[in-house]
Amino acid sequence: MTAVLSLKKIFLAFLKIGTFSFGGVYSMVAFFERELVFKRKWISQEEFVESLAIGQMAPGPPIINTGISIGYKLHKLWGALAATVGQAFTGTVLAILLAAFYLHMQDNPLLQAVMKGVAAAVVGLLASFIYKMIIKLVTGYRSATLAMGAFLALAIFKLNPIGILLAAGALGLVLYRRD
Amino acid sequence: MALLQMAAILFIANALTIGGGYAMVPILQQEFVNHYHWLSNKEFLDAIAIGQVTPGPLTVMNAFMGFKVGGLAGALVAMAASYLPCVIIVTLVTKYYLRYKEIWAVKAGFAAIKPAVVGLLLAVLIFLGHGSIINPLTAGIAAASFALLTFTKIDPSIIIITAGFLGAFLF
Repeated sequence: MTAVLSLKKIFLAFLKIGTFSFGGVYSMVAFFERELVFKRKWISQEEFVESLAIGQMAPGPPIINTGISIGYKLHKLWGALAATVGQAFTGTVLAILLAAFYLHMQDNPLLQAVMKGVAAAVVGLLASFIYKMIIKLVTGYRSATLAMGAFLALAIFKLNPIGILLAAGALGLVLYRRD
Repeated sequence: MALLQMAAILFIANALTIGGGYAMVPILQQEFVNHYHWLSNKEFLDAIAIGQVTPGPLTVMNAFMGFKVGGLAGALVAMAASYLPCVIIVTLVTKYYLRYKEIWAVKAGFAAIKPAVVGLLLAVLIFLGHGSIINPLTAGIAAASFALLTFTKIDPSIIIITAGFLGAFLF
C-alpha cells in the first residue's frame, strides 16, 4: 500500500468495476469493497468507508464519486481521472453504440413498438423513484414546503430548474441554519 | 457552438446533481428538450432507458444524448462535461475531508436541495407521462413497472427490457 500504484492498474481495476456495475447501489458497494479492500488490499476498510461518505456528500452519482475519491487516495489527481475513465468506459461505449443503432433505426416500426413499451416502463420507474424519495426526504413541514414549492415553480410557473435548485439551496441556508 | 452549450449545461446539471442520479433529469429535460430542441420528449425517455440498461450510473444517458447532438465527438464531450464537476469537487473534498465535514452551509444547502429535486421530478414525471401513457396498455406497463420497482428488488434493467419485449408483441 505504500508504493504508488500505476495508473494502468488503477484504470483496469475500475474498468472491471464499471463494466459489472449492475444491480443497484448496494450490490455495487459490496463489489467495490471486495475488489479494492479485500482482493487487492489497496485501501483499508476505514479509507473505503470515508470515500463512501464523500461519494454521498458531493454532487454527482455517489458510486462514481466514491471511485474518484479512492482514485485520488491512490494516485492523486491522475488516479482520480484514471478511476473516472475506467468506471465510465464500458457504459459510454455501449451508449454510443446504442445511440448509433437507435438513430439509424428510428423509423423502424418494430423499434418504435419496443420503445413505446420501454417509455411506459421508464415513467413507472421514475414514479417509483420519486415515491421512495418522498418517503425518505419529505419528513417535515420544511422539506414538504420545499418540495411543493419546487413542483409549483416548474409545473405551473415554468421557472428554470437550475434557478429553482439554486434558490432552494439559498433558502436552505436560512431554513436549516440551526441543524 | 452547440457542443459548447451542451458541455456548459451538462457541467451545471451535474454540479447540481444532489440526492441521486435522477436529480439531473429536470434540468436536462428543460435544456435539451424544451429549450434547445436537441431531443424530443420521446427520445428523452428513451435516453433515460438507455442510461438504465447500460452498466454504470444514469449519467451514461448523457453519452446517448451527446451522440444525438454531435455524433461521436458529442458523446465524448458530453461524458467529459458530466464527470468534470465530480472530479473537481470530489478530489477537493477528499483532500480537505475533515474540514469539509464541518461546513454547515453545505449541509444546509443540500438538505434543502434534495426535497426540491423531488418536487421538480414530480413535475417532469407528469409532463413526460402525458406523451407516453397513451392507452390502457401503456398505463398498465407503467403501473406494473412502478409496483415491481417499489415493492420488489428486481433490477430496473430487467423491467425495461421486459417492457421492450411486451411493446414488440403488443403494439
